[in-house]
Amino acid sequence: MAGELSAAAVRTEAAPRSAKGNATAWFLIAPSCLALVVLFVVPIAYVLLLSLTDPRLSIAHYQRIFTVPVYTRVMVNTFVTSLIVTALCLVMGYPIAYVMARRPGWISTLLLTVVAMSFWTGFLVRTYAWLVILGSKGPVAAAYGALGHGQAPQLLFTTFASTLGMTHILLPYMVLALYAAMRKIDASHLKAAASLGARPIAAFREVFMPLSLPGVVNGSLLVFVSCLGFFVTPVLLGTPRDMMISQLINQQIEELLAFGFASAVAVVLLVATCAVLAIYNRFAGLDRLWG
Amino acid sequence: MRRRTFLKGIAATAASAGPLIVTDRTIAQTRTIYVNTWGGSWTAAEEAAFFKPFTDQTGIRVKTVAPVSYAKLKAQVQSGNYEWDITAITQAELLRAEREGLVEPVDWTVVKKEKLFPNAVYANGLAYCALGTNLAYRKDKFPQGGPKTWADFWDVKKFPGNRSMLNNAVRTVQFALVADGVPVDKVFPLDVDRAFRKLDQIKPHIKVWWTQGNQSQQLLRDGEVDLIVMWNARASELQQQGHPVELVWNGATITTTMWGVAKGAPNRKLAWEFLQFAVQPKPQADFANKLYYGPTNPEAFKYIPAEVSRQLPTYPENQKVAIKPDTVAEADQTAKIQERFTQWLAS
Repeated sequence: MAGELSAAAVRTEAAPRSAKGNATAWFLIAPSCLALVVLFVVPIAYVLLLSLTDPRLSIAHYQRIFTVPVYTRVMVNTFVTSLIVTALCLVMGYPIAYVMARRPGWISTLLLTVVAMSFWTGFLVRTYAWLVILGSKGPVAAAYGALGHGQAPQLLFTTFASTLGMTHILLPYMVLALYAAMRKIDASHLKAAASLGARPIAAFREVFMPLSLPGVVNGSLLVFVSCLGFFVTPVLLGTPRDMMISQLINQQIEELLAFGFASAVAVVLLVATCAVLAIYNRFAGLDRLWG
Repeated sequence: MRRRTFLKGIAATAASAGPLIVTDRTIAQTRTIYVNTWGGSWTAAEEAAFFKPFTDQTGIRVKTVAPVSYAKLKAQVQSGNYEWDITAITQAELLRAEREGLVEPVDWTVVKKEKLFPNAVYANGLAYCALGTNLAYRKDKFPQGGPKTWADFWDVKKFPGNRSMLNNAVRTVQFALVADGVPVDKVFPLDVDRAFRKLDQIKPHIKVWWTQGNQSQQLLRDGEVDLIVMWNARASELQQQGHPVELVWNGATITTTMWGVAKGAPNRKLAWEFLQFAVQPKPQADFANKLYYGPTNPEAFKYIPAEVSRQLPTYPENQKVAIKPDTVAEADQTAKIQERFTQWLAS
């Protein structure tokens, strides 16, 4: 897809379009097209093929996904969880990014450092940190007891813990996407709004927020799609009820050697992700994703 | 031993007979096999017990790839790209792999039958070690005496406390049957419906279904849970670190881990040479002394101190009270039970 896009870009820029120029353009993009085909198109085609042919030619795997309740449940759960995590990241990330973009100085630097540090810390480490924090001997439970509430409720191994963990891990993506969009907003726009009599709230609502929307859409898309493929965090922090699609794929492949069924599940996940991207493209335009 | 003398002989001949044989030895020293293993303390124990002595003796180098992946066995054979030659694998998985044609037959030109012990060969693999999946608990939580059976594990009134079980369908179903009163030698054929009825009773009391060995240790060590299903050597490790942990052999499952050679693996001849070495009593004992998984070769107990022997899955007294396994039934039923178990856990 990206190959076609860049081909189109090259063609429009080579103003007097000549056969020779075209050939050169194709020659130049050939390596990246080849890489895309070898690294993406072929493997995906192979997965699709496996899902229909392993162990024999049939659509039985797809029927099974949509008829056995547990598999449908896992699909729905994956999408609902991803939506919730995206919403939480947006709600928490927007104010952080706003301060980072609008209040230059030490506070912005500090926030940027904190966000970047957690971005660079391995997600496994961050997941294990939650195991300690939320554990029955951890600081949260201790604070609960110290305040005289007695035994703390179970925090670990709940849907709450796994949602919290995933939100924590994906928040930096959201903040950075929002920050990138907000930094581009010219401060003079807001001054102009103020000079025309807008109060700060109105200026934010009428000027700043609409201009930051590309960041909102990009960040949400990034978080949502990453969340669809989440694996370790829900395994370690959540309950079996929170099973996500990638856990299902892993189980089918590693424990049952069911390559065919696992491929079918992967194809369904891929199609659903593409559907999300298509909707995004319809309303926001995929080319805006890259700035 | 004999081999070492043989090599010394070669060296002596090489010194006198000139460069030709020296070249042969140089080639021998660069030969390498690749072994799929679990990593961590498991691989460290293997390194000391198997790999290093084998390399010292034969000049064949051993490299490891972790973690063990059953799926990769199939993927390797299907694609013809080999990352490793040998894998450790459970007996039931090996049987399924053998049925799918994923493992090499034993190379009897390399492996010497007279140097093997009874039942060493199964489904074209060699028996490696035995792993117990046991009930373990924190002694400090039960000063009046802890649970002794699976029925006790199920008894949340008599033995209150947080519980955790292994997220493995076939193991869990067996424990449920024993808890429901099935004698340990009658667990197979599995009455799956009965097992799930029994599992319904314990489900609300299971705080976490663990999936990784170090996760199970963390849960018990930090006191996150008081009773747990655990692999025996993992529990022994906690005891060695001084944690108040007790291990129950009643109704444990004892699964044999096998060595298998991937079908068509490039270094399969050397692989069988290594496996022939690895199932001998001394290396097996060295491994068991480091990591408390039981040797499959009965002769190995000669090299293991009595107090260690008692903690191993293949110690006769432990085997007597454990569930009597049926690998064929397990291999046949795993996929179906797993699907039902996944569904049951998710609902």
